[in-house]
Amino acid sequence: MENTTVVETHSLTKRYGSGVLAVDSVDMSVQRGEVYGFLGPNGAGKTTTLRMLVGLIRPTSGTATVAGQAPGHPNGLKRIGSLIESPGFYPYLSGRENLRVVADLAGVNQRRVDEVLDVVELGTRAHRKFGTYSTGMKQRLGVAAALLKDPDLLILDEPTNGLDPQGMAEMRKLIKDIGQGDRTVLLSSHLLGEVEQICDRVGVISNGKLVKQSTVQELLGEEGVLVRAQPIDQANEILSRMFGADAITRQDGALHLKTRPAQSMEINRQLVAAGIGVSELRPFERSLEEVFFQLTGEKQGS
Amino acid sequence: MIATIRAEWRKSRFRPAFLIGTGLLGALTVLAYGVNWYLAHHPGSAERPVSILSLYPDQFVATVLGAGFPLGAAMAIVVGAIYAGSEFGWGTLKTMFTQRPGRLTVWAGRMTVFAAWMLIMTLVLFAIGAASSVVVATFESHVITWPAAIDVAKGIGAIWLIFTVNGAIGMALGVLIKQPAAALGVGLVYLLSVEIIAVRFVDALNNGAYKWIGNLFVNQNASALLQSFTPARNASAISAEQAVIVLAAYGIGLVVIAAGLLRLRDVT
Repeated sequence: MENTTVVETHSLTKRYGSGVLAVDSVDMSVQRGEVYGFLGPNGAGKTTTLRMLVGLIRPTSGTATVAGQAPGHPNGLKRIGSLIESPGFYPYLSGRENLRVVADLAGVNQRRVDEVLDVVELGTRAHRKFGTYSTGMKQRLGVAAALLKDPDLLILDEPTNGLDPQGMAEMRKLIKDIGQGDRTVLLSSHLLGEVEQICDRVGVISNGKLVKQSTVQELLGEEGVLVRAQPIDQANEILSRMFGADAITRQDGALHLKTRPAQSMEINRQLVAAGIGVSELRPFERSLEEVFFQLTGEKQGS
Repeated sequence: MIATIRAEWRKSRFRPAFLIGTGLLGALTVLAYGVNWYLAHHPGSAERPVSILSLYPDQFVATVLGAGFPLGAAMAIVVGAIYAGSEFGWGTLKTMFTQRPGRLTVWAGRMTVFAAWMLIMTLVLFAIGAASSVVVATFESHVITWPAAIDVAKGIGAIWLIFTVNGAIGMALGVLIKQPAAALGVGLVYLLSVEIIAVRFVDALNNGAYKWIGNLFVNQNASALLQSFTPARNASAISAEQAVIVLAAYGIGLVVIAAGLLRLRDVT
């Protein structure tokens, strides 16, 4: 791919006939070689957006370019592998036969079928009928089908859905492995830990709107130090002298300092020397969960 | 296009709906021969006794045509509705539409394979009919003579056309309703009652002034086409040529409408 932007949307909008606004003016961009996490609660519009990107549904307004083509264009589709929602295969055919059907449609050599079965570790169970597969095996077969074309862009919609913890860990490892090199992976999920572990950049969607798009590090914010001390006003004054007032925010009876955790020893020494009692001093990092709830307006634990 | 046909054939050759539909049609043909053979020897008080002559090989085309319609047409509707409708429930339509070929290419490949399956069903029907007629002739010690090859070919063509058009009704309904059960139900109700009632109603209007409208219904033309193989009993106002044209127009029209729906509608 010549262009470094693999997926680009401008004001992408989908309003269903019932009047439901599923996706609202989404502007997103996914760069070549990155693993992009598309994060949002259930019903936020992730799957609808991905369906538009592969041409399964038409946008009400806005544009999208995927692998250099309009969504659904055969020249674009031949470079895209996708698993949208649940894997769709013929229950009366074996896993291998299902992949052979997909390989025919995709114009891929049949030899590739066994290669991708090995990648997802389904080789020994590929002779069994798809209808008898467990959820995990179905998801693996879906990923195998998405890999058949050796695609430049892999779009995976909630690939760990319905998997047990071990299956989820294996799927995460698999996605990490296949996201190596120049291949771009666009992964939707509502599982924050999953996105944090796998993705380079994330887009957060809520109620159909893309509310944030950045690297995971940017999203989590700069590293810092949390200080809990008494009297807190005096501690604030000393720390302001050390780091500047702009570097300090006060929250829940503690001071959050924008500074490297390596400064902790010096902070402690200064505060103690001033006769201030320090009850807590630790590196501070916001979790993706906190950021997510803040961005989407969802309540934690609800 | 070739790749699409190959994919369609790969997934359809072991498809239970086709295998069971074809097998059932063959079994019913054997049953029809068996029952008619019995009735030929035990006519009882039947108004129209079965002639043993109609069960010999030289008459097998007409007998097979009788088994092909409306029974085979109903089977074709069922198979067509399942073939098209189940893709929505399985989610396989999205898998197909996200590979390389465009939607219309995929649909064209599907129709090609479906038409091929209807031909297989037709050939099985004729082969079993021919074999059954040989069995009857052998047991009756009747000399085996076959109808002219052109008559066999015409019969195969007529049944294939009727199966394909009725299958297209099932497929179009499957695409429209997006699921097989309701599609085959609606298709069968149309074949077995709606069209019959509608034609009777139209024919009765204004002393038959609108009979020509009734003559445009799909299975009126199917009946007329089959009646043309038994000219002595042919009472239809529809010629064989018109029947072929009307049936072909229905087939093409249904395929185009279903293609339009598939192309324009969202796959959710």
